[in-house]
Amino acid sequence: MAKGRELKGRIKSVENTRKITRTMEMVATSKMKRAQDRVVAARPYATALTDVISSLYSSDLAERFPLLRQPATPRRVALVVLTSNRGLAGGFNANLIKEARARIAELERTGVQVDVHVIGKKGLGYFKYVGRALASQRTDITDRPTAENAAEIVDQLMNDFVAGQIDGVYVTYSKFNSVLSTPPTTDRVLPVTPPEAKAGAGGQRDYLLFPDAEAILTELLPSYVRNSVYRALVETVAGEQSARRTAMKNATDNAGDILNVLRRTYNRARQAQITQEIAEIVGGAAALQG
Amino acid sequence: MLTVSVISPEAVLFEGTTESVVAPAFDGEVGILTGHAPMMTLLGQGELRLGPGAGQRFRIRGGFLQVVDDQVRVVTEHAAKL
Repeated sequence: MAKGRELKGRIKSVENTRKITRTMEMVATSKMKRAQDRVVAARPYATALTDVISSLYSSDLAERFPLLRQPATPRRVALVVLTSNRGLAGGFNANLIKEARARIAELERTGVQVDVHVIGKKGLGYFKYVGRALASQRTDITDRPTAENAAEIVDQLMNDFVAGQIDGVYVTYSKFNSVLSTPPTTDRVLPVTPPEAKAGAGGQRDYLLFPDAEAILTELLPSYVRNSVYRALVETVAGEQSARRTAMKNATDNAGDILNVLRRTYNRARQAQITQEIAEIVGGAAALQG
Repeated sequence: MLTVSVISPEAVLFEGTTESVVAPAFDGEVGILTGHAPMMTLLGQGELRLGPGAGQRFRIRGGFLQVVDDQVRVVTEHAAKL
């Protein structure tokens, strides 16, 4: 029963694979929940910052802040591409890389030089493969990115922007709309687009300002930039985990389907063999009697 | 009573009511009691104390503090509970 043994081996191997994918699915589910919590926990800070900046900001202040400088013709911009360190997450990294490639092509078509900064092993692997020179790279961002990580990534870029060496900073990341919707997105973090003042939100209050609106904005605009990068980091982690969960769920389901087919084939082969054996015995007995 | 929230980029560290807030502003400590005029101030580095007898203490650096209608928001990039 050579075929039966072969089938048994394959059944065993698919069972083992399914065990692994199921475990990965469960791990990704719990990591995703925690990442999702962090996305939610990051919101109050962003809201508070946005509120205050929009209430203090007025367009006549714009020229005084280097972070709001709108270069007429950008010559050189930085693109930060966030990817994950681990694979087995379906099309997650491929989608991010595709988005980044589209952006780079789009910017370069208008004659802009693009510095690419890559976060994550998967993005790094791709850009190494196509042989593109990278402005910077790092793979030490964990599943729990911190506000410090964001500061490390963007502080140098902010300095370069203020010094006029680069004319814009973009971030490609996976936006976390919901578990099922994590589209790869590219946002411009520099120059800062000042948040719009919400109409009818109590209007402008007469605050006592210490020291004054300009000094407060000078302090808060960099925080705002750092926070947009922090949110991109957190949302990308949540997106990665949810993509991995979906991929592993599909893998587990597929393994189940394959197992059904294999088991059926195996049982059929076993039954056929038994039937044949009985036929042979009966045939043999009949020959003896004859 | 004041309604206070202490917010860092990663999470809301404190949300609740207290009688007083003492915060390290950029140029020295600032104390807030109920009925304070609407105010916004930059923060420096130091200890944020909520309530009498320092019921809750945080070490903070940077950010700002906003008071309006007895609502106090402390928004800071670096905050750690003490």
